[in-house]
Amino acid sequence: MTSAAIVAATRDVILLELFEINTYYGDSHILKNLSLRINEGETVALLGRNGGGKTTTLKSIVGWVPPRSGRVMFGGENITGHEMMRNARAGISLVPEERRIFTNLTVAENLKLAQITAVRPGWSLTDVYARFPRLEERASNKGDEISGGEKQMLAIARALVQGTKLLLLDEPTEGLAPLIVREVEAIIREIKAQGMTILLVEQNFYSAMALADRCYIIDQGTIRFEGTPDTLRGNTEVLSRYLHV
Amino acid sequence: MKDWAFYLLTAVGLALFPLAIHPIGGYSGLATEILLLGIGAMGFNLLLGYAGLLSYGQAMFYGVGSYVALLTVSRFFPQVHSIWLALLLAVIFVGLMALVIGIVTVRLYGIYFALLTLAFAQMFYFIVFQWRSLTRGDDGLQGITSPPLTLGPWSLDLTTRLPSLNLGPFGNLNEVTYWYPFAAIVILLILAFVRTLISSQYGEVLAAIRENEERSVFIGFDSKRYRIAAFTLAGALTGLSGALYGLHQTSTAVDTLDVDTSGSFVIFTVVGGVKTLFGPLLGTGIIEYLQNVISGKTDAWRLIEGLIFVAVIAFMPRGLLGSVPRVSEFAYQPRFRRTEPLTEPRRVSEGIILETKGLSRYFGAFAANSKIDFSVRAGELRAVIGPNGAGKTTFFNVLAGLRAASEGQIFFKGQEITRMPGAQRVASGVAKAFQTASIYPDESVFENVRLAALARVQGMFAPEFLRRSGRLGRVDDIAHDALEQLDLRDVAALRAGSLSHGDKKRLDIAVALATQPELLLLDEPVAGMSIEEVQKTDRLIRALAKKMTVLIIEHDMDLIMGISDSITVLHQGKVLAEGTPAEIRANRLVQEAYLGGYAEEARGASAPGASAETTP
Amino acid sequence: MSGDTTIDAFLSQLPGTLLDGLIRGLAYVGIALGLTIVFGMLRLVNFAHGAFYLIGAYVGLVVSDRLGLVAGLVVAPIAVAIFAIVIDYALLRRFYDRNPTSQILITFGIALVVQEALRLIFTGTTRSYIVPGWLQTSLNLGFTQYPTYRIVFAIGIVILVCVVWFFIERTNYGLIVRAGIRDRIMVQLLGGNVRQASTVIFALGGAIAGLVGAGASPIYSVDPNTGFNFLVPSFVVIVIGGLGSFWGAVVGGLLVGELQSLTTLISAPASDIVIYVAMALVLLVRPSGLFGESEIIRG
Repeated sequence: MTSAAIVAATRDVILLELFEINTYYGDSHILKNLSLRINEGETVALLGRNGGGKTTTLKSIVGWVPPRSGRVMFGGENITGHEMMRNARAGISLVPEERRIFTNLTVAENLKLAQITAVRPGWSLTDVYARFPRLEERASNKGDEISGGEKQMLAIARALVQGTKLLLLDEPTEGLAPLIVREVEAIIREIKAQGMTILLVEQNFYSAMALADRCYIIDQGTIRFEGTPDTLRGNTEVLSRYLHV
Repeated sequence: MKDWAFYLLTAVGLALFPLAIHPIGGYSGLATEILLLGIGAMGFNLLLGYAGLLSYGQAMFYGVGSYVALLTVSRFFPQVHSIWLALLLAVIFVGLMALVIGIVTVRLYGIYFALLTLAFAQMFYFIVFQWRSLTRGDDGLQGITSPPLTLGPWSLDLTTRLPSLNLGPFGNLNEVTYWYPFAAIVILLILAFVRTLISSQYGEVLAAIRENEERSVFIGFDSKRYRIAAFTLAGALTGLSGALYGLHQTSTAVDTLDVDTSGSFVIFTVVGGVKTLFGPLLGTGIIEYLQNVISGKTDAWRLIEGLIFVAVIAFMPRGLLGSVPRVSEFAYQPRFRRTEPLTEPRRVSEGIILETKGLSRYFGAFAANSKIDFSVRAGELRAVIGPNGAGKTTFFNVLAGLRAASEGQIFFKGQEITRMPGAQRVASGVAKAFQTASIYPDESVFENVRLAALARVQGMFAPEFLRRSGRLGRVDDIAHDALEQLDLRDVAALRAGSLSHGDKKRLDIAVALATQPELLLLDEPVAGMSIEEVQKTDRLIRALAKKMTVLIIEHDMDLIMGISDSITVLHQGKVLAEGTPAEIRANRLVQEAYLGGYAEEARGASAPGASAETTP
Repeated sequence: MSGDTTIDAFLSQLPGTLLDGLIRGLAYVGIALGLTIVFGMLRLVNFAHGAFYLIGAYVGLVVSDRLGLVAGLVVAPIAVAIFAIVIDYALLRRFYDRNPTSQILITFGIALVVQEALRLIFTGTTRSYIVPGWLQTSLNLGFTQYPTYRIVFAIGIVILVCVVWFFIERTNYGLIVRAGIRDRIMVQLLGGNVRQASTVIFALGGAIAGLVGAGASPIYSVDPNTGFNFLVPSFVVIVIGGLGSFWGAVVGGLLVGELQSLTTLISAPASDIVIYVAMALVLLVRPSGLFGESEIIRG
């Protein structure tokens, strides 16, 4: 079978599901009975205005800001309230909005750390350097000596090294020049073709549409729309109301 | 509790105290010592509990106070037969000492502040130790009889005993000397002072600074000066404590300046209860009792002291410095809805109100803002837009003074403000509403706004230690105006922390507004708001723009295009384009930046069929 | 006294003084090392660190009395490490996220309790180690005679510093520690066990202090106040060197040790105060210290 066919065959297996989760920051009620699901091998985009709850959703999944009520199911297992370390080891990787490269470590050390803490087989260092030759060039540079685009590559490479099953990307193209945006998109497309399940939070509507199989729109803590990119493109009311496109 | 009842009860308690401790092994000399040391502990509590500063050097004020008092009596002015001179000189000298040291130390926080105060205390220890000709070094000063207490023609030797009166298990009244009533009166006065201070205008602002320092600075309070004042008052009180104690003991020694003494004040206050009025006295009482009475019974008394200390810190329900819900000083009293505001905003300038030249801000090697030239005319509504990560919030933060500029200059109303501290910029008329609402969560909505109004009326610092801010009527007027404009009257009495996200953002804007700015910076004011709230905020911003200059960061293009006079587009830290909404809309470069190379698709999507939402 | 004699006196005392300063400085490095690593990793200001030193000194004393010096040096750090872990679990855990002032206070309280407990147990007398005979000699260093034990101690500290350096810079676990110092959350997001690493570092910091305490006691004697006597200078060291910085502790320790020692040549009492003056200057001019960071750099 071709990889695409394999991917198609696995499409109906639910990998991640959120059941009516409610997440708070202190007293502020951010996510309100939020539900969504992602099938294995899918790339799902989570769109919406700033302040709508996109990043909070990712943080709730990964255990950074656990929900106060509701359920998070991963691979059929209830992972609600599990802490970050445990979820990472279970195969969920979050690439945060600020990338959070360790600036006191070199590029090579950043990757090595991801290898040390990995519990499942993932990309080897050779694989990484083959696909990201620029990272090999920069291997002995400290984390704060590389460009924004290189940081994004490194952040994604860290997740690949960990053998992740579910990749959560928080605004991967933010602050990058258009040329670099294309590169990042290409990488995401490749990972997707290899069968990775991806939840993509993006402000760049068109970038998200080019990559996603399905998308959700979140506003004020709840899901307002669910559908394929084509459906969304045709829905001008939703587009203008929630995305200002 | 009514004031008179409070003071009466306290006075009665104090009167009974020296006798009440008799059955448990106490004695009147101990009672006096507890009160006198308690003064120092109250001073320390002012610093730790109310200003939030942990000083490890209070011993320097205590020790110097005792030396100044005793030297005044024995060397400087032995001919003066009154205790007041010794006390006065001690307090003034130590007060000045605390002022100078305070100015130097309060720029630091946390462990750095604690260590610097420790360092200074050690230096004073050294000076007192070495200056043998004055202080007799490690011999200390001994046998210095305290001069009498004088009041007009009357003179009272404080070591005189009270008349004899047998009180059974409570001992005999003549065990108590007049030192005790004197100490009790002094404590009563100081309690009254501290109580007044806490609810004074100064105390109110100090509490605000402790609750949210950033917000306090950016509504215009000079937090450093408030802390210096606290440090000075605390130092003076501690000096008074040392002076009185030394005169009572007729001696002092260099160990009054050592680290253990500083540590003692920490222990007294923490054990008794930080941020309470009587806590320091209670703690002093417990520890002194341990040291003087229990020490006779077991060697383990210091261990017990340590265990109590650890237990108190570890098991305090709200944590040591957690906030105690305050009984609202300024309850919200609704007023009739007005169409015209009660107060006049600041005079509106003309011409170019804000300008930057080559403004840059670096974080390490990363250039968040790069050589930005920017200018706004008074009364303009200028939008600053750009994709996430373009440097918009950093730009606003540099304008407001939250972050220093790495390069370049900022001019406000023709004056250069590049190095001006944030609080001063607010006082000059620049106010910022934060992207993540920065409010006082434990205060009511009304009090939040009222604090900003207070800053506007009183200025960056006002040494109002005794008077309450309630006497300033204008403050309430400004606060009500701000609530009115942001339509927050319905929630005005609620605790700010319990508001919804959107309401918190509106509160944040109201707080900025209450400083009556000429230039208002709004950072994503509608992020996270419902569609209806967005519409309301749209109307509000248009109304504000008529009275002041408004700079707004937003992503909501409909909103921006609808209300802006002009737009500046930032991308990757630089200015990409500037112009009217129509010009920006048509600008290819801008589309590229936002849409990351999807300009074609975008142009296809915004065909005539796709309608923008119209505001009803 | 003629000028020549005083200069001669000064010069003849100099090598001994410099050596004394080196030994003292190395002792400070030993203590400051644990303190700075714990701060870097846990963001915890540990006023109880001096108590770790003290426990190490007393445990070492008791053990070496019966089983010899080497046994003392082995048992002391282990005992302190266990104590540190117990304190961490029982008490310190909940203070990680509290403000620094609360941390200073709770650790200060722990130090107080430990100090007093030890005072009660050992009835407050000053004790000294019994150093094995072969170490009681002095070595002829050419320009001066110097106690062998002190030289061995110095070498020991240098080895200790190298071992710690190696652990942090060259091992996998050390990599997790270094990453955790910069960004605890990201380490967790990558599946790293930051909590375990924190406990390990805390125990390690304590063990180092305990080992130095046991090793330094023959030189500096031990009484319940020693904990605090060494604690405050060690804070001076890490302030000057930079809170959280490894090299800051090393360079800072040596600087402070030499500074104190050399000052005794000028005026004995001044040597007590000079380190506070130095600390005050650093805090006023450059609070982040020699090697500390002045700003947090975001990725």
